[in-house]
Amino acid sequence: MISRIWLRVLVGGAALAGTVFIGLSGSSFDTTPAAGGVPAGANQFMLVLALALIVGFLFYEAVEWLQTRRLDSITHQFTTRTIVLMPFAIALNIVLGQTVASALKLPIYLDSIGTILVGVLAGPLAGAATGLLSNLAWTFMLASTPFGSPYAWPFAITATEIGLLAGLFGYLGAFRPRPRTLPAMLVAGVVAGAVLLGALLWYGILPAYRDLGCGPGNAAASPDGVCTPIAFLHTSDPLFIALAIVLLAIVIMAAVVLLVRLARDRDLGVVYVLVAGAVCGVVSAFISTPIAALVFGGVTGSGTDFLVAAFQQAGSSLEDAVRQQSLISDPIDKTITYLIVFTLLASTSRRLTARFPQGERALGTVED
Amino acid sequence: MADEAADLSAPDAQLLARLIPPTPTVWDRYNPLTKATLAAATTIAALGLGGYLTQGLLFAALVLPGAIAGRVVWRVVRTAALVTLPLAVAVGLVSVFTRPGLTILFRVGPFDATLEGLDFAARVVVHLFVMAAALILFGATTSPRAFVVDLERRGVSPRLAFAIGAVLDTVPAIVERAREVLEAQRARGLDTEGGLLRRATSILPLAGPVVVGALHHVEARSLALEARGFGRPGPRHLLWAPADTATERAIRWLLLVAVVALVVAAATGAISHAP
Repeated sequence: MISRIWLRVLVGGAALAGTVFIGLSGSSFDTTPAAGGVPAGANQFMLVLALALIVGFLFYEAVEWLQTRRLDSITHQFTTRTIVLMPFAIALNIVLGQTVASALKLPIYLDSIGTILVGVLAGPLAGAATGLLSNLAWTFMLASTPFGSPYAWPFAITATEIGLLAGLFGYLGAFRPRPRTLPAMLVAGVVAGAVLLGALLWYGILPAYRDLGCGPGNAAASPDGVCTPIAFLHTSDPLFIALAIVLLAIVIMAAVVLLVRLARDRDLGVVYVLVAGAVCGVVSAFISTPIAALVFGGVTGSGTDFLVAAFQQAGSSLEDAVRQQSLISDPIDKTITYLIVFTLLASTSRRLTARFPQGERALGTVED
Repeated sequence: MADEAADLSAPDAQLLARLIPPTPTVWDRYNPLTKATLAAATTIAALGLGGYLTQGLLFAALVLPGAIAGRVVWRVVRTAALVTLPLAVAVGLVSVFTRPGLTILFRVGPFDATLEGLDFAARVVVHLFVMAAALILFGATTSPRAFVVDLERRGVSPRLAFAIGAVLDTVPAIVERAREVLEAQRARGLDTEGGLLRRATSILPLAGPVVVGALHHVEARSLALEARGFGRPGPRHLLWAPADTATERAIRWLLLVAVVALVVAAATGAISHAP
């Protein structure tokens, strides 16, 4: 039985690697950093990677079909409970997303709580399906109701990725509460988490801001052409000061919640969730940037727009400004959403969660 | 299916009649998938083809005839304008003042309004308006339930079709539930007005009961569905499905080919993308 699964993984992985190889060698792939500090081929690479993931998945399922004449790895995630949970999750996404975007005017979205919930409880594919259907239903099913939005469907790809990642993180146990961790373990976990977050910040987020404030016609660019990365901080632009205050408030709030959980419950699970949320946020930012830039001219009509304005004012091109905005909004948004889902699931009875296909694996059977 | 309806008893015929959504105009009677394909093709074309004239032509050729036939011109234009307005304000502020350009129109404080920024913002707003109008035309003239039934007839899994269709009832239910929770928490002293931080900290006491309540509801609902044979394998017999014609099928294929040609042309650089 085990060897059968390994054969599927092997074939799927080979197909994935093959597709990436063909996709990148067959075209002029540019790895030199562009003006924004991100390789010029980044979007193309993401596209090839996404296609390769689909091809790899199809090969995996083809082998499973040949071996068992069934597709249990897909169907076992879509039990009746999952199917019934999906509309609730979709409605939750839409209602919360609409409220936060239009009423609170915060630079976050909170439109993926339901998607992440299904991902964790039912599995990656169920999560991906919920994300995809969320944005499609938002546009096509609810078009004639006050809740509909004709502008939700282009982001269906991002929503799919969010559900997929939440399912994988749930499978790996990132959402499991780990209270009363031994102090030594707790310290080790916090240090490891800090290192991971630091690496993510250094390699995933900061490169996008390397040339900020060095654009043409910007006062912060020094005359000799050498540009200090944080030059924009000296511009004392009122937009940036307002921006800094809002971001600081959000980060402090999240940090307080985090410290309380860490100190009071000694719950190491918070660190897992934090790292997982940040990873999901960075991936989402890279996927949604070209969509937001090409379709919407960089705006979404929510609180994130003034960030784009601020970065464009600091001399970034449209796509760079959107990426710089997304790399702030998305990690914060996804981290907060992950923490909300984690807190909610931790306080839900295991009798309820364990009945979903992945509930027992993701959250365990013992309540704390 | 008309012959089946003939030998139904009166109550059954009434039930069947309730399933069929009203179709007051010619445009309502077209197959939902045809209208959805048209809306999707229009949005993709609006995205791929730049220029004010092209957008105007797209609107006149692919949105306006349907809106006139469906007698929803005013509704489509008004709703599309309302939906686009917040984005128009945002893209205006973001682009007009912060996009670098040579022609400066006027200055507000440290910000220069450029002609290039204005042009870019106007292009984005126009294509967003055409996109919204196409999708709202679809929504205004199509019963969402008929769309789901049509998809199910074309082979979408009945379970998935149930999930999609249930969204329609669940959204108002969740809103109602959120309102109840809000009032209950307020009665217990939760402060939902006031500063940003206070509002943000009230997210969890509001979302918590809604989500946990939903999980409990899922439990009850899935048991009820299982008891009624929801998990039973095999094909389902649909009592009613929207009509489809060979002409509509041809139109859908034509639209699909046109969209693929457009995407290929855009990808190979045969047509320039703007903005």
